[in-house]
Amino acid sequence: MTLAQDQRKAAPCGQTGLDVFADFLDGKTARVKRVHVVLNDDGRSASHRTLEITDAEGNRALWPVATLRALPDQAGHSGIILRRADSSEERLIIDDPSTAARLRAICPYLHKRPPVTGKGRLFGWGLGAIGSVFLIVMVLIPLLANQLAELLPPAAEKALGDATLDQIREGLDRTGANPIRICEREKGLAAVKIMQARLTKEMDLPYPVEVHVLDHPMVNAFALPGGHVVFFRGLIDEAETPEEVAAVFAHELGHVAHRDPARITLRTAGSVGVLGLLFGDFAGGTVVLFLTERLVQASYTREAEALADDFAHETLKKAGISPAALASMFERLRARYGDEEGIVAHFASHPAMIERIEKARQAAKNLSLETEPLLDSDQWADLKAICGVRFNPLDYIRKMRPQMPPKAE
Amino acid sequence: MSASRIRTEYTGRKWRLFLLTLKTSLLTLLTLGFYRFWMKTRLRRWFWSAIRPGGQPLEYTGNPIEKLLGFLMAVVVLAFYIGIVNLVLVFLSFTLLNDNLAAYVVSFVGVIPILFFARYRARRYILARTRWRGIRFGMEPAAWAYSLRALGQWLLTILTLGWLYPRQVFNLEKFRTDRTFYGSARLHQGGDWTMLRGPAFYNMYAAAMLSIGIVALVQFGFLSEKKLLWLVLTGPWFLIAFLWFRVHAFRTMANHKSADGISLIAEPRLPRVLGIYLLGYTLAYLILLLFIAAFVFIALFAAQWLFGVNPVVIVTWQERVPTWVQMSAYIFLYFSIFILWGVLHQVFVALPLHRHYAQTLTITNPPALARIRQRDRDHATEAGGFAEALDLGAAI
Repeated sequence: MTLAQDQRKAAPCGQTGLDVFADFLDGKTARVKRVHVVLNDDGRSASHRTLEITDAEGNRALWPVATLRALPDQAGHSGIILRRADSSEERLIIDDPSTAARLRAICPYLHKRPPVTGKGRLFGWGLGAIGSVFLIVMVLIPLLANQLAELLPPAAEKALGDATLDQIREGLDRTGANPIRICEREKGLAAVKIMQARLTKEMDLPYPVEVHVLDHPMVNAFALPGGHVVFFRGLIDEAETPEEVAAVFAHELGHVAHRDPARITLRTAGSVGVLGLLFGDFAGGTVVLFLTERLVQASYTREAEALADDFAHETLKKAGISPAALASMFERLRARYGDEEGIVAHFASHPAMIERIEKARQAAKNLSLETEPLLDSDQWADLKAICGVRFNPLDYIRKMRPQMPPKAE
Repeated sequence: MSASRIRTEYTGRKWRLFLLTLKTSLLTLLTLGFYRFWMKTRLRRWFWSAIRPGGQPLEYTGNPIEKLLGFLMAVVVLAFYIGIVNLVLVFLSFTLLNDNLAAYVVSFVGVIPILFFARYRARRYILARTRWRGIRFGMEPAAWAYSLRALGQWLLTILTLGWLYPRQVFNLEKFRTDRTFYGSARLHQGGDWTMLRGPAFYNMYAAAMLSIGIVALVQFGFLSEKKLLWLVLTGPWFLIAFLWFRVHAFRTMANHKSADGISLIAEPRLPRVLGIYLLGYTLAYLILLLFIAAFVFIALFAAQWLFGVNPVVIVTWQERVPTWVQMSAYIFLYFSIFILWGVLHQVFVALPLHRHYAQTLTITNPPALARIRQRDRDHATEAGGFAEALDLGAAI
């Protein structure tokens, strides 16, 4: 120490005048050495300056100022910890705030980040990870889900549907605490039964069809595994004739008959976990919530939609209802949501709406049906009131502004 | 005193941590979670550097890129497991049992060995990236052995209805400690598991058994449902006793750790730890509530000023304010609450806990430190990636 103190007296302070004691860690032993630090300023440019570090035994090290790096994100508020860019072992710990400030002013590359090593490897694994997730989510899971959906026994499919229905009801509710109400007014349900009986008269499904109406303003309907068909109240409100509701019903029955919901649900069961893995928990349950939403708005393939439409045309004809009802329901939706894809509702995301309207019209051409009405006016009123009659200011406002899509809450 | 013992200082300030956490959480959110590897690194650096045994700060030398790499590696392995295996399990579970509970159970049980494996690897990675006085810590690779050991210990605990829980805690800690190095010095966990029995454990055990007993008796119809109210008493009792046990276990086991003639004296106190949790969460909730109140207040006045909404009549709110403005406000509120909660937790709970545990830690026989030499760098390639992917490393 005496040697260092002598040096301190002898050392010229120079214009930059940096001359302090500090702790030095050599990275070889756990000893903390007290060292004397002086800034050598021989008049050359700033990048040629060096810190001269001398220990008690007189061992001297020169650290070029340009190689100095400060450890980032330190909680010690007064000082600075230095290392050399070209060596990861040694540390110089300066606790004096004014010296730390001086060093920050003098050293040009104090906060330069170390170069990223192993970029190739990182790139390789990145591609590997994206590739494997893509392969699994886009290829393997759909393939497997399609196969397994065929093998799923009816009872299992029903159980899967029950579980999914509960999840969707919870997911649709913003707080997640109280699930959305299922509308169960007896007269309304009776009207649904009449409609269902007429549509499924000649149908051979492995499980009974169960219809639910959810008390929610979304103009939407979907099918779940195991014969669940779910209508949102918004769709029944929007329909102008019972035949329009029946047309949508028939379309959803098409999905049921083709087991599309089981496929989608199994696919989601596999994909949710993988995507969750990728994103982590950066925003709470948002990702999971988002995926639940997607499940409701499950976009089937074009083929699946076309097949469900064909199925609906046939079913409606057999039930003595004109497939034109499907066309008019689609037109109503198109007028409301436009032809855009995937913003608000399930039907809005169905591709090529015009084409589908056209096909429904074609199916309705040259048809002579005994026009026995589906529901009488009382039954139709009962269906409309299945969720109870009440004044909802939100619905009122939406009716006033048909250009605004309803919120998918 | 100073020659035979060194105390630990703590230099972390709440305000600095607040700023760092807020900044890094915002970046994490804006990058859809990608920044979380940087966030974790930066927070660890900060927390480590605040702890100064003998005035010398700890240093965390881990870097985000290696974490990202480790995570990518884990994703390649786990994506397959989580995707395909879970899908098949859900299918089998519904086909055979008409329920998905079995799938969850099997899927979770299948992950357990990986969980223990990941935990050991994560600890090894963290130790390999921690330095004090320029010397690295380290841990021997033994993750699968640890996983096996942990499975066995847990099985024993479950079979004895929790009676051997202290034995499990001690043996697993001993397994990890005895494989831990500070430079050239190997740590040693002395003592035995019976140290962890005592009033803390008995209280915890009694509270747990009572709570489970009440729930079971009500479930099987031997007690009326009103008796569930007793959980209001046994629940907090269990929580406090559990915390007591944790503090006691940490303290006892730390006091029996040694390395090359150096040992530790840890003196964390239960009342203090309990106080930190109570005060910390109360403060965090209050600030969050204040924030929400301020938000609603400002939103109402902004709506009045911009769209002429009368703040008293809520109906006009829906009518006059454009949907996208409403949606943006909801989204903003949701994410700010999410971020603010994380930040407040770090500042009012994590920091005071760190500070208390640090300030009550003393290291004996510091001259022996001079004998300790550096150890080679452990590449620890996977860098806690499995733990990250399985969301184990959520805590710093």
